[in-house]
Amino acid sequence: MSAVIETKNLTKVYEGGRRGQDVHALKNLTLTVSTGEIFGYLGPNGSGKTTTIKMLLSLMFPTSGSIAILGRKDYGASDVKRKIGYLPEGAYYPEFLKGEEVLRYYGQLYGLHGSTLEKRISEVLDIVGMSRARKRLVRGYSKGMRQRIGLGQALISDPQILVLDEPTTGLDPIARKEIRDILIRLRDEGKTLLISSHELLEVELISNRVGILYEGDLKAMGSITELLTDRDVTLEVRGASPEALQRLTAKGIQSESQPQGVSLLRVPNTMSVYEVLEYCKNEKITLVSVAPRRETLEELFVRVVGAAQNEKKG
Amino acid sequence: MGSFLRSTWTISVFTWREGMRKKTLIGFFILSILTIFGSSVLTAYVAPTSGTSTPSEIESKMIKDICLTTISIFGVLITIFISASVVPNEVENKVIYTVLSKPIRRFQYLLGKFIGVQLTVILNLVLMGILFCIAVYSKEGIFPSLLIWAILLTYCEFLVISAFTFAVSCSATSAVLPTIGGLFIYIIGNLTEYLKDVANRVGESTVLADKIVRETAYWLYMVLPNLQKFSLKNQVLYLSVNDPPKDAQIPQVIAYALACTVVGYIIALWVFRRKEL
Ligand SMILES: Nc1ncnc2c1ncn2[C@@H]1O[C@H](COP(=O)(O)OP(=O)(O)OP(=O)(O)O)[C@@H](O)[C@H]1O
Ligand SMILES: [Mg+2]
Repeated sequence: MSAVIETKNLTKVYEGGRRGQDVHALKNLTLTVSTGEIFGYLGPNGSGKTTTIKMLLSLMFPTSGSIAILGRKDYGASDVKRKIGYLPEGAYYPEFLKGEEVLRYYGQLYGLHGSTLEKRISEVLDIVGMSRARKRLVRGYSKGMRQRIGLGQALISDPQILVLDEPTTGLDPIARKEIRDILIRLRDEGKTLLISSHELLEVELISNRVGILYEGDLKAMGSITELLTDRDVTLEVRGASPEALQRLTAKGIQSESQPQGVSLLRVPNTMSVYEVLEYCKNEKITLVSVAPRRETLEELFVRVVGAAQNEKKG
Repeated sequence: MGSFLRSTWTISVFTWREGMRKKTLIGFFILSILTIFGSSVLTAYVAPTSGTSTPSEIESKMIKDICLTTISIFGVLITIFISASVVPNEVENKVIYTVLSKPIRRFQYLLGKFIGVQLTVILNLVLMGILFCIAVYSKEGIFPSLLIWAILLTYCEFLVISAFTFAVSCSATSAVLPTIGGLFIYIIGNLTEYLKDVANRVGESTVLADKIVRETAYWLYMVLPNLQKFSLKNQVLYLSVNDPPKDAQIPQVIAYALACTVVGYIIALWVFRRKEL
């Protein structure tokens, strides 16, 4: 797998008006996104995701460090940009144009024209599910429709690389699912995607690799399987009295109450499943299921960001 | 090359389409049309005064005066307004992110925008000019070729103002500052002749203060665009409307306008080249 997007010690400082007001938005970011993968770019608000993405598209320029896209150091050149589709954060498109005119405009900027362009416009409108609204003015579009037309303009040139800044923000659950399916399909076609997002469940579902940014520092990076190895076992039980649960907690078995008298017991690393089962049997608790459990991306995120926050405080 | 021109033209046409929907611009345009129409109606009621002029001469002079002034004032307002706003607006509504992330170079983007502004200005000027010519033709019955020269030179003036306003707008975050800048350029540009006067009047005095004033005035005179060069108003008012323009060096003046425009564009590019968006 070759690197499609590569940054080395990428640093960005926004100069404040006065001394000491500078914002160090990105600190020595070294990041690689490889061919055919979906890279989930995560981080709390203001951690520098949009800043990174804007630099990749030469909307801003690095304070120091380097960027290479498709191995090219002159990543701002037209022939490189022709291969990149970009969806900016938030959705702003020329209000006075119709949906299809927006795609036509951006398609022409990519150098497409004539029947090739018209055919592609119809295809893309189909992909993003906007065929029926193609003749309506963008002014009258809802947030989700704007987001879809935005995805459409990113796809119009059938680019090899897609850089999407929060593509599903503001969409309803069905639309999210649809967009997710589109993104997976694009990856399966061999495209490379860099997606910034706050939707950790979604990112976990579609990404091959993720990076977690905190105040401009990359705190974790790796494949989902690498990062979320922390496996443990959970017992689903029924009929446990609060007192019984308390006694279990005293032994170091954490529990979580769920509706309809169901509780989840987490088997700690220090005990075997049989030990816990033995306790349950003694407490006359009914076992419903035993399931291995992988740490979720959300838990990883909270752990990584929480650790970074603590480190900063103390 | 073909695709370079095509994308640039795409941006121009887009800018033009967007520009023609601006309410302020439409407002200025309607006002100017009303004034031009009004002038022909109004002057019919003006009583002849003493002197050798016939009523119809006075009438036609008034029409020409009103129309030229209208075209000049509203034209300048439209020019400044549109030149000051295209780039800041696109930065503000963030459409620029999607445009500049496409295979478009920044100089190409600016070129497209600038040409789009010119299309808008030219279209407005042509419409106003046609009405003006019709108004004069209906009074005098002869083809007003001199007016066409006057309008052409007026456009050259607009071009210069537009280029400098555009340059200012590329460094601004909203249209307010460049609009003020544009008005400033318009006013100062029409006063540069006075600067030469100032420089001459201070004369060869060797007092330091005088010297500073003289040098400053002289340099400002040399540096600032001289917009008086583009005015044919006196000729339009006092010559017959089908006369050729008298001792105006039209090719030189046009070349001067183009040179000023290139300077304005280079400043715009220099400011915008590394702008962080
Ligand atoms: N144009 C700018 N001028 C000054 N500071 C900026 C600018 N843009 C961003 N910043 C600062 O840089 C930091 C990173 O911002 P950025 O927009 O990259 O965050 P983000 O990760 O995209 O956040 P979010 O999840 O909220 O979109 C923030 O502290 C922000 O205040
Ligand atoms: Mg962001």
